[in-house]
Amino acid sequence: MEKFGIDYLEERSLTQRWPQPIPAIVSLVFTLILFYATWWIFQDPRGWMRMYTPYVGYMYTRWWLIVLIWMVYIFNYWPFKRSWLEKTHPLIKGGVLTAVSFGVLYILIKGFFEGLLGNFGLAYFNPGQLTKLPGVTEFFAIEYAALACLMFAAIASWLSPAWVVACEEAPWQDLKQPGKGVSILIMTFFLSTLVYFMTMHSHMGILYYPWQYFTSIAPPYWEKFANTVSGNFHVSWIMCCTVTVWIVETIWGRYPFNLIKRNWLRRLVAFFGIIAIAFAMHFFLYFLQEMTWGPAIRGTRRAFAPDWRWLHVGEMAVFFLVPALFITFYCNNWPKKFSMPVNVLIRTVITIVAAILLYILYYKTSHNFLGTQKGFSHPQQFPMIPTIWLINIWLVHHWFMDNWPGWKMVPKTAEEIARDHEAEQALVRDVRWNPALGWGMGVGAVVGVVAYFITIALLPVFYAAIDVIK
Amino acid sequence: MSGEKGKINRRDFFKGTAIGVMGGTLAMMGIYSYSPWRKGHFPKVERKLADIGACKNIKVTNISETSWFENAHLMGDIKGAGGLLVNQYDYNWPPFGDGSGLGKGSYEKGIAKIKHLLPDKLDEAWAVTEKLSVHPENAGGYACLIELEELNGKKHKYLLDSGWSYKWTDECFKREGIDKMLENREIEALFISHEHFDHFWGLPVTMKYDPTITMYIPEGFYPEGLQYIKDAGHKGKVIKVKAGLNPVIPGMASFVFAIPIICRVYGEQSLYFNIKDKGLVSVTGCCHQSIIQFAETAYREIKYENDNLYGVYGGLHISPFEDWDPKYDDLVISLGKYGFEKIGCNHCTGILCAKKFISAGYPVVEGTAQNRSKDKAYLGNGDKIGFGIEV
Repeated sequence: MEKFGIDYLEERSLTQRWPQPIPAIVSLVFTLILFYATWWIFQDPRGWMRMYTPYVGYMYTRWWLIVLIWMVYIFNYWPFKRSWLEKTHPLIKGGVLTAVSFGVLYILIKGFFEGLLGNFGLAYFNPGQLTKLPGVTEFFAIEYAALACLMFAAIASWLSPAWVVACEEAPWQDLKQPGKGVSILIMTFFLSTLVYFMTMHSHMGILYYPWQYFTSIAPPYWEKFANTVSGNFHVSWIMCCTVTVWIVETIWGRYPFNLIKRNWLRRLVAFFGIIAIAFAMHFFLYFLQEMTWGPAIRGTRRAFAPDWRWLHVGEMAVFFLVPALFITFYCNNWPKKFSMPVNVLIRTVITIVAAILLYILYYKTSHNFLGTQKGFSHPQQFPMIPTIWLINIWLVHHWFMDNWPGWKMVPKTAEEIARDHEAEQALVRDVRWNPALGWGMGVGAVVGVVAYFITIALLPVFYAAIDVIK
Repeated sequence: MSGEKGKINRRDFFKGTAIGVMGGTLAMMGIYSYSPWRKGHFPKVERKLADIGACKNIKVTNISETSWFENAHLMGDIKGAGGLLVNQYDYNWPPFGDGSGLGKGSYEKGIAKIKHLLPDKLDEAWAVTEKLSVHPENAGGYACLIELEELNGKKHKYLLDSGWSYKWTDECFKREGIDKMLENREIEALFISHEHFDHFWGLPVTMKYDPTITMYIPEGFYPEGLQYIKDAGHKGKVIKVKAGLNPVIPGMASFVFAIPIICRVYGEQSLYFNIKDKGLVSVTGCCHQSIIQFAETAYREIKYENDNLYGVYGGLHISPFEDWDPKYDDLVISLGKYGFEKIGCNHCTGILCAKKFISAGYPVVEGTAQNRSKDKAYLGNGDKIGFGIEV
C-alpha cells in the first residue's frame, strides 16, 4: 500500500555533510539569501510586486504557512509518493512542492475566500463587493478583505498544527491519505470558523459605519476586559497559541504532555494546556510592555494604544518561534545529553535569549533593508510578515528540501526507527516521581516565581540601557 | 534513580528543578501578569508641570485643510505605487514628478526639473511639474495661520505648515491675505508639523513671499526634506526641534513626538497654547500621535490654566482616507473623558469621524463647507476659530 509521506519526517535520517556548525551556517546563509530575494520580489515596498501594503502581503504570508502545514502535517505530502520524496533531488522537490503550495494558496484566496465566501456569504471577504459601498476606496477594500482573510489565517495557523501536535490526529490517525487529511482539514476548518465568528467577526462588524449591530456583537464582549474594541486582543492570544504549538512540537519535543500515558487524557491536556500556556504568554508580554512603556491609554495611537499593545504581544511571540525552529531544524535540537526537562529548559532559555537579541536587531536595523518603517508602533510595521516569511522559507527548506545542501537525506532502516522510538520512550520513562524530583520541583517553582519578579523588576532598567530605536 | 535512603539524587533533583522553574514561571505569568496586583508595579505619574506661561487668546484661520481633492485618486496612487510604506518622494507626485510614472520617481530627479524656478517662478514650476507628475490636479495642502495675543496685548502671527500644491496653496494664501502678511514680515515663524507631502511640499509658496522666515522643523526629517528646504530658496534660520517640550513665547510651546509615520516620514511637531482662565489648546497638523496622547502628554509635562483641556484645532489623524478601524472607535469612546470644550477638527480627522464625534455629543465647531471643503461637519477652508476670543 502506498504510504505517501506518512511518518516521512520521522523516518528520514538527515546526515550532515560537514561537522557542525558549518551545516547550520550554510543553511542560515542559504535561507537568508532565499528570504531576501523572495522578500524583494513579493513583499518589499521598494521591490517588484510590493505586496507589503501591508495586509495583502501579510495575508498571503499567513496562508502560505498554513498551506505548508496542510501539505506536510495534515496530508503527509499526498499525492506525492514516498519513493518520489526519497529519490528526487531536494532542489527539484523543493521547486515542485513550493509551486504546488503557491497553486493551493491562490485557489484558496481567490477561489474560496474572495470568490465563494465573499460573493455568496460575507461581503467583507471580497474587495469587489466592498468597493460597491459608498466611500470605500479600492485600496482599503483590498486591505479590509485581506485583513478578514488573515484573521481567519491566524486561527487556522494555530488549530491546523494543534490537531496533529496535541490531538495526535485522533480519531483519524489510522486512516489512509487523503481520507485522514480531508477529515482533519474539515475539522480544523470548522473549528477555525467557529473561533473566527466568536473572536474576529465583531471586529469586522464595527469596521464599517454604522456598526453592524444586527449581524455582529457591537460593541464586542471583550471591550471592558481588553480595554479596546479591537480584535487585536484575540490576535494576541491566538498568535501565542500558534507559537506555543510549535514550541511544544520542536524544542520541547511534546514535553510535558508526553509524560501523560493515557491517550485521551494526554491529547485533551495537550490541546488545552497549549491554550493555557499561550494565555500566560499573552498576559505576560502585555505586562512587559506596561513595565517598559507605561500603562496603555485607551484611545491613543501607536505604542500607547491597547489595541496595538495586544497586537505587539503577537509580534513579540513570533520572535520566539524563529530561534526555536532554528534549534530544531538546524541544530538537531541541541542539547540532548541531559534529562528531558533539563534539555527543554536549556533550549527554552537559549530561545528566549536569542529571541530578545533578534527583537533588538530587528527594530534597530530592519528598516534599513526590508523597506519597513523605523519604530515599534508604526501602523504599517508588521514584524510578523518578515518573520513568518522567513519561517515559511525554513519550512520549505526543512520539509521540502531535506535541509539541502548542509544535510543529505537517507531513509532510516527499520532498526533505526525502532531504536529512535525506544530512545524517546526511555526519555519519558526517565521522568518519574521520587522524593528528589519532588524537592527539585519545589525549589524550582520558588526559583521560577523569583525569576518572574526579577524579570519584571529589571526590564525597565534593561530597556532604558539599550537604545533600540535611535 | 533516587539513590540511597536519606540521600537526594542530584540528577533527579535537577530534573525536578527544571520542571519546577518552568511551571513556577508559567504559573506566575498566567496568574499575576494581567491581575489588578500588577498595577502596583506601575510608577506613579509625576507631573512635571513645566511653566510655559499663559496668553490671552489665539485665533486660528484655516488657510486650507484639503490636502487632496479625491480620496480615490490618492489611494489609487498609493496602491499602485506599492502601499503606505513607499517613500513619499518616489510616488512621482508633484512637485517631484519626473515623467517616469507612478512609484518610479525620486527627489533628485524630480527637483532637477524645477529647482531653477524656485521660489519666485512658481506658476512656471507648477506648469512643468503638472506635465511630469501623477495626478497633479489632486494636490491641495494643509496650512493655518495662528494669531496669538499675549497678556500684555502684544500680538504674534505664526504659520503652521505650507500646503502641497503650489497653485492651490498660493491661491489660498492670497484668499486669506497670507501673501501680504509674509511680504510685510508680519509672520514670525513657520512651524512645519511633519515632512508629509501635504504639509511640507508647498514650502516654496511661503519662500516666495518671505525666504528669510524662521522655520521650526521636528527632528527626524530625511535628507531629501532637508535638501528641499535649501532648494526651495530658504535663507533664514532652520531650527530642528528635538523630541519633547520646547517653549516658544509665553503661553506657547511646541512638542515633538518621535514617531514613525506612513510614506516614510518620522517625527511630528504639534503646538500647545495655554489660554488665561480657559485652559490648554492644542493646534496640530495631523496629530499622528493621537489627540489623547497629546492630552496625556500635556497632563504629564505642562502646567495649564484651571488644569483644564480647553480646545483643539487641526487634523486629528483618525480616518484621513475615510477608512475605519475599531481602534478609532476606542478614540471616539474615550475622547469624552478629557472634557474638551471646543473641538475644531478637520483635515485628516475624516468626515466620518467628525460625524461620530457629533453623534457622541462632543462640542464640535461645525464649518461652512466653503472653498472646496466637503462637509459642514468640520471647519472648512477659510473658516476661523477662536480660543479665549470669539471670531
